[in-house]
Amino acid sequence: MYRFIFLSFFPRHFRLLLTSPSWSAEKGKPPVFLKNQLKIYMGQKNPVEEALVLLRARLCSPNFMFTLFLDSPDSNYSKLKYILSSSVTEACNNSLLLLGPRGCGKIAVLDLVLQDLLKEYPDMISVINLNGLLHSDDNCAVKEIARQLCLQHELVFSKMASYDDNSQFIIAMLQECGLAHKTLIFVLDEFDLFAQGKQRLLYSLLDAMQSVTSQAVVIGVSCRLDADQLLEKRVRSRFSHRKLLFLPPSKDDLQRIFEHILLLPEDSGLPYEYVADFNSKLNNMLIDKKFKEIVEKLFNSDSTFNHIVRFLFSALCHMDLKSGFLSLENFRTALSSIETQAKLESLKDCSILELYILVCMKRLEVKEKETCNFNSIMKEYKNIHESFQTPDYYARNVCLRAFEHLLQRELISFLDNRSSGQSIEFRPVKLLISWQELHQGLKQYRSCPAVLFKLMDREG
Amino acid sequence: MDNQGSPQTTRRTTRSSLAAANINSENTAESSKSIDLQPMTINDLVYGNESASFDELISNFPGRSSQIIDLIRLLGPINSPIFPLFIYGGASVGKTSVVLEIFRYLKRPFVYASCISCYNPKILFESILNQLLLHRKSESNGYSSAKRCEKPSDFVNLLREALRRVIDTLKGNKGKSSSKKGAVRPRGEMIYLIFDNFELLREWDKSSNIVPFVFKLHDILRLPEVGLIFISSASLDTYYADTGFVEPIPVYFPDYTEDNVRQILMKGVTNQKIYSAFLDVVLKPFYRITRRVNELSAAFSPLFSKYCEPLGDFQGVPNENLKRKLFAHLQPYVAHSLNEIFRVVNQPSSETSSNNTRKLKGTSKKLGMYESSDELDFHMSTSAKYLLISAFLASRNPATLDGSLFDSTGGSDNRKRKRKSSEKAMEQKETAEQELLMKGPGTFPLERLLAIFQCITSVVEYSTVEESQTDGGTGGDGFNSLLMSDVLLQLSSLINANFISKGTSCPLEGSTRYRSTVSEDMALKVARSLKFPLSKYIYRR
Repeated sequence: MYRFIFLSFFPRHFRLLLTSPSWSAEKGKPPVFLKNQLKIYMGQKNPVEEALVLLRARLCSPNFMFTLFLDSPDSNYSKLKYILSSSVTEACNNSLLLLGPRGCGKIAVLDLVLQDLLKEYPDMISVINLNGLLHSDDNCAVKEIARQLCLQHELVFSKMASYDDNSQFIIAMLQECGLAHKTLIFVLDEFDLFAQGKQRLLYSLLDAMQSVTSQAVVIGVSCRLDADQLLEKRVRSRFSHRKLLFLPPSKDDLQRIFEHILLLPEDSGLPYEYVADFNSKLNNMLIDKKFKEIVEKLFNSDSTFNHIVRFLFSALCHMDLKSGFLSLENFRTALSSIETQAKLESLKDCSILELYILVCMKRLEVKEKETCNFNSIMKEYKNIHESFQTPDYYARNVCLRAFEHLLQRELISFLDNRSSGQSIEFRPVKLLISWQELHQGLKQYRSCPAVLFKLMDREG
Repeated sequence: MDNQGSPQTTRRTTRSSLAAANINSENTAESSKSIDLQPMTINDLVYGNESASFDELISNFPGRSSQIIDLIRLLGPINSPIFPLFIYGGASVGKTSVVLEIFRYLKRPFVYASCISCYNPKILFESILNQLLLHRKSESNGYSSAKRCEKPSDFVNLLREALRRVIDTLKGNKGKSSSKKGAVRPRGEMIYLIFDNFELLREWDKSSNIVPFVFKLHDILRLPEVGLIFISSASLDTYYADTGFVEPIPVYFPDYTEDNVRQILMKGVTNQKIYSAFLDVVLKPFYRITRRVNELSAAFSPLFSKYCEPLGDFQGVPNENLKRKLFAHLQPYVAHSLNEIFRVVNQPSSETSSNNTRKLKGTSKKLGMYESSDELDFHMSTSAKYLLISAFLASRNPATLDGSLFDSTGGSDNRKRKRKSSEKAMEQKETAEQELLMKGPGTFPLERLLAIFQCITSVVEYSTVEESQTDGGTGGDGFNSLLMSDVLLQLSSLINANFISKGTSCPLEGSTRYRSTVSEDMALKVARSLKFPLSKYIYRR
């Protein structure tokens, strides 16, 4: 949502993005060289394709980007690793929260840390992964913990076991692991969802950790910065309030990230000349001023790691397979393709009659009628027709259909959700776009009737 | 979603039915035994048997070439991992058919689940698992699913297991040379999950977090060999979740431009020249009203036959003179048909897909009350008509007026209350009018409906004594006494026909309340067919 709001303040910038030439969108016919490219898709190995697959695999692997920050001492990676390794070696209980906006690599960094720890201390750690989207129900969560414990310790898991059986089993396992000096690490993704309801799971986990014999770490991961405030008193008092904050990358990091992800490795089996060419061209582009402008725009709208990865992925997909090099144009198209303005797009798709209805609704809104429905819109539509002699005057049922189209496009919506009883024409509706958006949409609309602008600007 | 000429693009078959059709055509001799389907193989995860070329793909979808190229590029070369894709655009712009055809062209395995046919999480999960586990519901297994699974947590575990198995088979497949001929072998080691009509998922369960869950499925599964594709008619910003969700990569399918619509409509037309001349006349005005190809083609098919009327058997190329003549012939019909664009329903046009007709049927039901012709185009018993009228009156008139309207002499035609139209009264009148526009017809209890019904019918008996003989069933003394049980039946059938809507019971009065959904035009029409003076009874504010 943040992106959309932001962009709507910058109409000029948006238009600039849209008018940037995109080679494929013109005339609806594919350029000739495309067919050759597509043959490459179907054919056997070729270095460009291999490079593309390699880069795509890098982008799609969740952890790769964060391997960049492994060696810096004050990164979240080092902090997290220190906390976890000390609780493994010192055999203590611990709990912490990883907080930060969505797409900033909380889980990815945690994964890297856990991978390292599993290598460093084999057989001393066992990790239980839970997700709030799946296991927010206590019953489900306990069952899943028991299942994963059974899987990791080669025990037989019974599907029929009750909640009580499972929770007793977990407590017994906690004690056993404590005695064997094995640390259980519970990773609770979407931690805020576990804090709904009675929080029985959190309580029983944290309560079990109060005893001396157990040895466990609970790691909550959430994109709600106030996640610890959601906890009940009895849970909060058992929780150590250690928090790690994950932030989007700074502008200086961006350059390093691009290099880290996009430069081809020299030992990958790809032809040496191609790799050298690819890398030198990329390096030249990365310091290009125009490229910096594009990145600036990207950074202004959304600067999370996730967004950057999707931007790079999209750019990579637009890479010309014949030459096999990334160009500035690729990045430009990528930016415009992932920064969409859905409402403006669907405004452009509206038929003229649908635009009339929208403008009528807008006028009713300006007149400060509290609510409007199809009947009052039709009255306004008739008024407009009578006072301006508009050419587009259609019968009521035709308008009703256009009205339904608008509902399907989600440019307007019903105020109430109850669908019973009332027929469509009487149910109150509201506009889902602002005056500015409608105005901008009309401007961008090809061959928009001039009378609509007049109607937009003028009252009565 | 798309109604274009070529048959294989319009028919949206499920893969199993397609396979069934193929097998049937192969052994037509034992068509009666077609229930014994061969066990499904991994090859069944590929769509269609005949291969398609890229040129065919592009030419089958006029105006969609840039989207097709974008999608192919996003899907990438073989075995390349992919981020979740989110394909969106209005109705009937070819989202689903383009995606399916692209997969047919690429010959990659995929699993397709539409949220229309899989209308709750359990069915959706089980249908995906069934396809992955190559399980087919049949008589021998009691039409049950391969796995029972209701909760997302179970689904993720089962799905991961099933996907691993499929991916392993795909990897194993690669080594072997193609032994079976005829069957299309899946290419690559990627498996794609396609969720169609994704916008419906939002309404399934308001409280549950199924939307963020499915959006996050890619991260939860952590299998790079799995690609997710969401097809939705609503854009990404209409999906809400408390703490947001992982945004997939959007691909937008815009509505067809006028030129594209022309190309689509021209497909499969025998006499190209004449149809093109026809479209020159009609397309522009109609395009101002709607951009949906399915609606346009439904509106054009009767017009085109009108257009061709003066031609007779003429098959040649029309010259300017002829075009002008045809135009003059068509002109009056166009203006008329512009205002009735949606009256043509269930036109047996060749290109309407099953999906289309269903949509049209659905809307015709809604629009049924707005028929604008002078004659009723449905049949109804006389008492049902009276019931309809009394329901209409009960909804429109205030209950306090019933006494004065329906007194024993019948009718209030002589009792016009004159009032000075002062400034204030005018204002009141205006607000009341506004209220009527906003609130719609009022509700009424069953008793009031029956009382009005009896009044009306008795009035008719008085006023149309002579006519009652010709009217047959309605007249006679036994009418009133026989009435009640009959009327209740009629009422329920009117409710089923959506002429009267039944509300929930009112907490204060305890009885169920009804509401008439019939428009005034319609009610007047019904009254006219009965020769009933309805306008006398409607209370005008």
